[in-house]
Amino acid sequence: MMVGGQSYQTAGRGRPWTFYALAALFGFFLLFLYGPMLVIYILSFQGPRGGVTFPMVGTSLVWFEDILKPGQMANIPVSFGRSITLAAIVSLLTVAISVAAGLAFRRRFPGSGVLFYLAVASLVMPSLLVGFGIGLGFKALGLKTDLFTSALGAQLTWTLPFGLFAMFAVVNRFNRAYEEAANDLGATAWQRLRHVTLPILLPGIIGVAMGAFTLSYDEYARTTLVIGERNTLPLEIYALISSATSPTLFAIGTVTTGVSFLMIGMTLWRILRLQRRRAGVVPS
Amino acid sequence: MTVLPLAVAALPRLRRIGTASRRLPPWIVSWLQVSPLAFVLIVLFALPTLLFAVVSFWDYDRTGIYPAFILDNYRDLLTTPATIRVYLSSLAFAVIVWAITLFLGFNIAHFLIFHVRSAAARTLLFLLCAIPFWTSGIIRTIAWIPFLGRNGAFNQIVMGLGLTTKPLDFLLFSSFAVIVTYVNLFTLLMVGPIANSMAKIDPALIEAARDAGASRWQIMIEVIIPLSKTGIALGSILVFTQVMGDFFVVKQMSGGQSASIVSTLATEIQAMQYPPAAASAVVLVGFVALLVAGMMRIVDVRKELVK
Amino acid sequence: MIGRTSDREADAVPPPRFDVELVALTKRYDRTLAVDAISLRIPRASYCCLLGPSGCGKTSTLRMIAGHETVTDGDILIRDRNITDLPTVKRGTAMMFQSYALFPHLNCLDNVAFSLKMRGVGKAERYARAGKFLELVEMEEFALRLPAQLSGGQQQRIALARSLITEPRVLLLDEPLSALDPFLRVRMREELKRLQRELGISFIHVTHSQDEAMALADLMLVMDQGQIRQAGTPRQIFEAPASVFIARFIGGHNVLPTARGLVAVRADRCRIDQAGNSAPFSGQVVAVEYQGPVVRVALQMRSGEQAAALLPDNTYFANPVHPGDPATLVWSDADAHPITAS
Repeated sequence: MMVGGQSYQTAGRGRPWTFYALAALFGFFLLFLYGPMLVIYILSFQGPRGGVTFPMVGTSLVWFEDILKPGQMANIPVSFGRSITLAAIVSLLTVAISVAAGLAFRRRFPGSGVLFYLAVASLVMPSLLVGFGIGLGFKALGLKTDLFTSALGAQLTWTLPFGLFAMFAVVNRFNRAYEEAANDLGATAWQRLRHVTLPILLPGIIGVAMGAFTLSYDEYARTTLVIGERNTLPLEIYALISSATSPTLFAIGTVTTGVSFLMIGMTLWRILRLQRRRAGVVPS
Repeated sequence: MTVLPLAVAALPRLRRIGTASRRLPPWIVSWLQVSPLAFVLIVLFALPTLLFAVVSFWDYDRTGIYPAFILDNYRDLLTTPATIRVYLSSLAFAVIVWAITLFLGFNIAHFLIFHVRSAAARTLLFLLCAIPFWTSGIIRTIAWIPFLGRNGAFNQIVMGLGLTTKPLDFLLFSSFAVIVTYVNLFTLLMVGPIANSMAKIDPALIEAARDAGASRWQIMIEVIIPLSKTGIALGSILVFTQVMGDFFVVKQMSGGQSASIVSTLATEIQAMQYPPAAASAVVLVGFVALLVAGMMRIVDVRKELVK
Repeated sequence: MIGRTSDREADAVPPPRFDVELVALTKRYDRTLAVDAISLRIPRASYCCLLGPSGCGKTSTLRMIAGHETVTDGDILIRDRNITDLPTVKRGTAMMFQSYALFPHLNCLDNVAFSLKMRGVGKAERYARAGKFLELVEMEEFALRLPAQLSGGQQQRIALARSLITEPRVLLLDEPLSALDPFLRVRMREELKRLQRELGISFIHVTHSQDEAMALADLMLVMDQGQIRQAGTPRQIFEAPASVFIARFIGGHNVLPTARGLVAVRADRCRIDQAGNSAPFSGQVVAVEYQGPVVRVALQMRSGEQAAALLPDNTYFANPVHPGDPATLVWSDADAHPITAS
């Protein structure tokens, strides 16, 4: 990831005053980031007669149980399953497409400029407009919008640019000599890809997969117009917000965060282990 | 052990074994590798954009939409004072949020890269900043409601500390709330690219500047800021476009006091009034494109990202 | 010999005299001519060094022989087979990369056995053969280590084993010693030379260090701007550099204008005469450098040229001179070799 680390040396062994000022700012920023989330976590344990703000009227797990009951307004467990499935598919597709494209961009080929700026445009385009365009297209073709067609496509326009730029960074660090050595030793193009290129790029690829999964799982703006009838979790929550506010919402928030944590934590741990093993720290 | 005179070129040569490169020319290989990406971007992004650009010229009434080529949608859009008001309001939000996230983002990136000495601590702290991103924007937005409300946590703390006697009203359902939420959501978009740029600065440059007698402040102005230009530009592009393209935060947090360009658009789409929505979309896209093109003049994005 | 020979005629054909032959080999990158129609014959089992400054075309030449660069024009023959269009693996060459390019995700044994795995050799057999080559480079105990756990010199030996297991006819080395510290460099030099003798194949070794080339080469080629400027044994080149460029690049020579034309004289065959003031080679001492067994005395002569004499330490300290002293460069006629300007 980041290499940095050059620090300001002062005359003594102490730190300049700016260190403390910036550290304080950083601490404040963390509080600012986590504060509201903590409120949600706490409020999700709200007592059965409590409301959506403080004070806490006792504590309970009532609102967590509420999640599992399919209410008339929302069906959380089902939409959660859909979100996970969609995220898994988007993640796999993003990895396959970005890795191939990342390898392609090592050379300048005709059209590489256009494609690059197209990817940038796809990234900065206001999300709703992307959904709008896709929705119009589906309507024009007489197709019904659906989770695994239009919504999937809309999410790909968001995850692929991220994946592509991440792969640029990964591929740039990749020494071409490895591939030449593989050629020298008799590998065919497929053998080279399978035994040399992909294994060496693996930590980066896992990072892209994890990033794409998260982006998809949390995504709502691109998919809201083209989701069809089967909502993902963020959109289900969106529907809930407009209709009713109860601490159930907060319980959902807590659970979703927990799931994200789990997924990303596991992936990070895997990457770390891979990198440490390859750096020779841990005997293989 | 001799070097042959060039006359040897005239000697009959042994016939070559094997045919001249049965391999594909490299640019074809690249095209094959990049075709899935091209397919997705063209079919799911470029064509739909073209589609709504076309529809923006169509006619419509209460019953349906009709293919045509009229400029009425644009005229209506651009001459309504409401449009201008909404654009100015969005732009104002964008600028304020940009300034705050730039200040926060730059200082945090600077802290992480230049003041934190151990790589492990740096990774940990950066992770800490990134973790909230793993929760959906929807939840992070509504999380502010119990926090900023009249009976919310912030007011309780502030009153508990005795700083005020009445709960602060302006905190929620106001422009303040909108800005606070935006900053919460988007600061990481600044921290990331800027930290990336800063990490690439060769430490020898800073030492050379110090050798030449520059104070820390001068080093910041003369060395660090210019060399972080790319990160700043990238972060700015991301923050601006996210704010201008938002429809959810404004709706939830402004209590109806402000509208956003996209939420107005969304309403028209709900009402199936596609042509004016499309015109609105085209204008927004044009606006965003101008902004982004402007920022890309400062920095050659392609060179930085692909290099 | 034209065309391929059938097996029946194989006995009647004498074995190839040269391991490598380059015939008007040319490489053009867009507008730049990197290698300019060079022709060369490398005899069987010789250690050949390509020496030259950066950008002279030595690495491009090496990579063309390896098959990692396409040939713009000309032919490459390895033991009389024209391999110019063959893919890397079919050429009978193996390359040792400057960065070693050991696969970071594989341990040493797997790295060395890689080529066998690509050919489909079974696990037991390929590990056995890889083990033998690890012994050849004295790295058996490191079989299960990852490259990141090895030092530079150790990595290089693994890289060697990995290339040699393919039983190449020619081993190509791209600046193999430049990443090593000076002491290790000398040790590895001896190893490389020993290996080459033992294996009886040709090594083509690219370097920009003339010390290295002179120590290792049976055949040394000095290249500049895509052309071979001089080829011969290190001794031949050092004793009689063909041009001013070679004399200056090889080092240890003075290039001096005389009545007969330009001559090159070895610096260690020059002496300093403190008397004598009329010759065009009189001037002032500008620097004195103690180098251990020799002392280098640099002169600025009245003609404007700079020259240096390498004096044995006893000679210098018998009659030391200092910067600013008047001095004349002297040498014997027998040591002066005529030289061309370019």
